Amino acid sequence: MLALMQSIRVALAQLAPSLGELDRNLQRHHELLEQARAEKADLVVFPELGLTGYQLQDLAAEVSLRLDDPRLTALAAATTGLSAVVSFVEESADHRLFIAAALLEDGELVHVHRKLFLPTYGLFDERRFFAAGDLLRAVPSRLGVGLGIGICEDFWHLTVPQLLALDGAQILINVSSSPGRDLAATNEVGLGTATSWRTLMRTYAQLTTSFVVFCNRVGVDESISFWGGSEVIAPTGAALLSAPLYDEGLFSVDIAPADIRRERIGLPLLRDERPELQLRELARIIAERAGLAHDTTSEPGAEPGLDVAPGDRVPHPIGFRRGADRAADR
Amino acid sequence: MTSPVAFDLPPELAIDTDIARRVIADFIRGQLRQAGFERTVLGLSGGIDSALVAYLTAEAIGPDRLLCVLMPYRTSSPASRSDAEEVVRRLGTASELVDISPMVDGYFGPDTDASPLRRGNFMARMRMSALYDRSVTWGGLVVGTGNKTESLIGYTTVFGDSACAFNPIGDLYKSQVRQLAAAMGVPGSIIAKAPSADLWPDQTDEGEGGFSYPELDRLLFWRIDKRRSIDEVVALGFERALVERVDKMVAGAEFKRQVPPIAKLGPRTAGVDYLYPRRRPGSARE
Repeated sequence: MLALMQSIRVALAQLAPSLGELDRNLQRHHELLEQARAEKADLVVFPELGLTGYQLQDLAAEVSLRLDDPRLTALAAATTGLSAVVSFVEESADHRLFIAAALLEDGELVHVHRKLFLPTYGLFDERRFFAAGDLLRAVPSRLGVGLGIGICEDFWHLTVPQLLALDGAQILINVSSSPGRDLAATNEVGLGTATSWRTLMRTYAQLTTSFVVFCNRVGVDESISFWGGSEVIAPTGAALLSAPLYDEGLFSVDIAPADIRRERIGLPLLRDERPELQLRELARIIAERAGLAHDTTSEPGAEPGLDVAPGDRVPHPIGFRRGADRAADR
Repeated sequence: MTSPVAFDLPPELAIDTDIARRVIADFIRGQLRQAGFERTVLGLSGGIDSALVAYLTAEAIGPDRLLCVLMPYRTSSPASRSDAEEVVRRLGTASELVDISPMVDGYFGPDTDASPLRRGNFMARMRMSALYDRSVTWGGLVVGTGNKTESLIGYTTVFGDSACAFNPIGDLYKSQVRQLAAAMGVPGSIIAKAPSADLWPDQTDEGEGGFSYPELDRLLFWRIDKRRSIDEVVALGFERALVERVDKMVAGAEFKRQVPPIAKLGPRTAGVDYLYPRRRPGSARE
């Protein structure tokens, strides 16, 4: 087991990828890795689809990388003495396209997370162009702590940060391409999207008593502007670093892994989680939804798997064997 | 400091103008970079929408890279023209005057029966033609100046004033255009005057439409952005007759907001199952 580092310098590469320009973005990643190394960073986090840009549509298949692609190997090779999270379109051997984030450490690609939740509503259309991942794993790291990686929408589902923490992650990393919207002046920072994300990230940090590292891109794809505002949140829920909105740059902060232990001893929420309870209740809910068990919240008379009972049967047309039916009813 | 300009801003429509300026400036620069252009051109009417876009564009890329084209018709209000000239003077942009009277009169000739609708639409399309021609001579992209309110209710001429390469203010309601214009120091006289298509003397949008912009903006905001039902907005205090009339205008203008449909015949059809970003590698002008 690796010794716990006294302090981990986290660098957030809040960059503006060029849409569809893989080579140009690769070069930018190499430059920022060098800069982070010069600034003595231990962990460098790049945003979702930082190697390709977000609004790809049919370009997705033209910028996809297999995990054995030499360009990815070369990028991994640039991480000697570093940990880095980079994101790209991954093409599997059976030619499915995933939005992926890879953990690169000491020259090797050590872990890949495929985006689990693909938003396909509102301004999002991801399910049309991408396959959804099926795996969620916390991963040990050369940093001496477990890492849990999610991509953007993955952290809009409670299960993801929770499962990652239960699986041993102590630093939750979310890489995002979050489009800014809702400029209502009443919002905390003048941007509804930023307010929502800040609320979520602080909540996850507190409930999982973990560090949360959020790296969101900037720049413009078509109509959409990405708002940046990347953050590092302590296990107490306090923000240690809040990068500016919309500015490109590499932003760093030092975090102390000892804070994780302190918080988890003082506030043992993770100790008190009840995964077996969840599993039991989830098994019941799944069976009820599938019509394999009685649904306790459905209306009386509802068919298995449906929660609403059909309305009263439409009465016979006036005069049609009315008297005979009545007689039969009695 | 600019003196405060009085205008009615419904509180739920108030935006963070600093963020709006930042987003729009990045948007304008991004559109130009991806298209391989460095300059822009827009039609400056003397009204608030095009004045605001001139200010936003000048802020994003500098006034020397913006050409403002003034395109009056012979009956256009002289006040509009002097307001437009004031914007050009304050920003220090290049400007050109294109009198569209000969084009319009040459087409309609002695046909004095042509309705204001026909004449107005034709003028809007002549201005579009002139702008796209100046786009070549100036070497700049045409910046759109239509706002969200007029787009939603269809108070635009299809292939006329709505034609552009990109639009920085198309997601801002008229009230928000006023708020942003005030924050940027657009001349107060332009912000304060009644919006008008300036097709005949004393024409105003609000007079013609039978609504006030703050009221219409609020209604559209609740109906569309906040997904409230007709009954719910009536409960908010809007008259049912107005709600139903505006709903009909919005539905009737759907065609103006979308690319015309292509009959699907082949394996891949633009806009249906051939879906690329407007600007992608290789699409920028060399």
